[in-house]
Amino acid sequence: MTADNNPMRPYLGRLAGVRDLATGIKLFQVELTEPEGQATIGTYRPGQFAFVSAFGAGEAPFGIASVRGPYLEFAVNAIGHVTHTLHALEVGDPVGVRGPLGNWFPLDEIKGRDIVILGGGIGGAPLRPVIQTVLDRRADYGHLTILWAARSPDLLVFTDEFDEWAAAPDTEFHVTVDRGDDRWQGHVGLITKLLEEVDPATQNAVAITCGPPIMIHFVFLTLQKLGFTPQQMLTTLEARMHCGIGKCGRCNMGEKFICIDGPVFWQYEVAEFLEGFL
Amino acid sequence: MKYVTLDNLKKWLDDLAQEVDLVAPRDVDGHVLYRPVASSAEILFEYQRPELSAKEFIFPDTEVLLRIEKRRNEVKQEEVLPERKQVIFGLRPCDAHGFEVIDALFLEQEPPDKYYANHRQRTTLVGMACPQMWEGCFCTSFGSGPDDPSHLDVMLREVEGGYAVEVVTEKGAALVADLPLEERPGEPPPAVADGEQYPVVSPKQWREVFNDQIWMRHGERCLSCRICTYVCPTCRCFDLTDRVVEERPGLVRIERIRVWDACTSTNYRRAAGGHNSRPTKPDRIRNRFFCKFCYYPEDFGPLGCVGCGRCVVSCPVDIDIREIMVDVAQAVSG
Repeated sequence: MTADNNPMRPYLGRLAGVRDLATGIKLFQVELTEPEGQATIGTYRPGQFAFVSAFGAGEAPFGIASVRGPYLEFAVNAIGHVTHTLHALEVGDPVGVRGPLGNWFPLDEIKGRDIVILGGGIGGAPLRPVIQTVLDRRADYGHLTILWAARSPDLLVFTDEFDEWAAAPDTEFHVTVDRGDDRWQGHVGLITKLLEEVDPATQNAVAITCGPPIMIHFVFLTLQKLGFTPQQMLTTLEARMHCGIGKCGRCNMGEKFICIDGPVFWQYEVAEFLEGFL
Repeated sequence: MKYVTLDNLKKWLDDLAQEVDLVAPRDVDGHVLYRPVASSAEILFEYQRPELSAKEFIFPDTEVLLRIEKRRNEVKQEEVLPERKQVIFGLRPCDAHGFEVIDALFLEQEPPDKYYANHRQRTTLVGMACPQMWEGCFCTSFGSGPDDPSHLDVMLREVEGGYAVEVVTEKGAALVADLPLEERPGEPPPAVADGEQYPVVSPKQWREVFNDQIWMRHGERCLSCRICTYVCPTCRCFDLTDRVVEERPGLVRIERIRVWDACTSTNYRRAAGGHNSRPTKPDRIRNRFFCKFCYYPEDFGPLGCVGCGRCVVSCPVDIDIREIMVDVAQAVSG
């Protein structure tokens, strides 16, 4: 995790690829150029995050969005100074990466279980490594159900991978938008409505969700209504953290820090927070 | 007791100022502040509580962590770790106690903060006992006191004609090795520690008052001005950002800086999607006091308050940590 024994120094890298993911959202592929950085960040596990530096603007934390291929991938929504600066970068431009940070999805512990993925908007990005892991080790997991959502069709991420997901063995893929547009012919409605319609089998299943806090809250409630127990529900939370190592104070929820106690939490942990994430 | 005359102390300080970064209480336009000094003539020897703690000399309010040079697509990074020795002279015991509180997180929790550790290592703390407790002071509520030497390297106490010198640590002994000390009979008189005691209830008991009306009552008049965190010797939240210091074709020089942050600011918990999990002032005031009395001691050990009283006298709307301590104690016992 540390460069020169200094966890605040990013590893140097360059932008190896950029593509549009949705309106205002791009996927960045980063190649680390320092061997120490390649070795350290190469150990990351699905659910962990890293800070990406746009030199001159600063750095911001992003969930690592892929376990496949030679590059680190990050989905970045142009919202603030750092993310707008990242969006203006071109292939070959230098960037920095600090990480991997935080805990991860317990994918080894839930082998053999049915997996239900519920991704909302760019919140789907940190779930993509989970989908990839299940698909790449298909025999290790049971039935895979993917529920993918966005506020509108233009905000759906990884649309070019929908076909792969839908065609994968023992996998079902559902997508919905809160509001459709002229061309949208798919499901319209909140992800919780879609979840009730799909009504995935609960026995031996684990549900993993990420999205806006209000969505996570209601997805948990709906899952519980369908029979999921607190030990069968996982999420990953976010905050505008600055250090990622439990020092800067920004991401505390009560005595917990999203950066070091999370970002991945079971629902029963979330339920016990003195201070809620909502 | 070991004793040094004021004249000899001043001469020693004059020499010291040539060798180290010397910080001491100084009059700055009528305000008493710990500030860099070039000679003993600039130092105040009679003063109450400096208006700001000395936190900024160990954990600077703006600190360059990395100097980054970008030549076309080549980036070089250089850590900024000053090596020059620093002495903080005339430090009040509460401010030294504040460093120990921050140590519990920045030094003792893995991974240690390299920058804070460097400042701590290069700095020797020479304390000056308060002869009495000042307006708003309540250090005795935290097991300390106006002449508590325990967080310092050397402690001075004013006696007639000079100062009694207590060497507390080896680091302190090394620093005062060339200070002309005399043996004198007797001991310096203890400070007048007659400040009121305020009740400190356990972190577990604090959890009982999370949803109490206390937070609305005290928090709704908060202005989110953040002065309480600015003057606090233990508040350690920080933000990171880059500033461009030079830009010309093919070359950009950047500093990655760390600046103090404040959990009482309006958008502290605003995330990328716009969600703010602490949208109201009572939410944020509650977090500040829970950090000090519940979260910080649970997570890292020490309480997050040393009783310096600066937030008490600085708050423009009189939010008083001592009143909150009393209210919490009443709420948990009643």
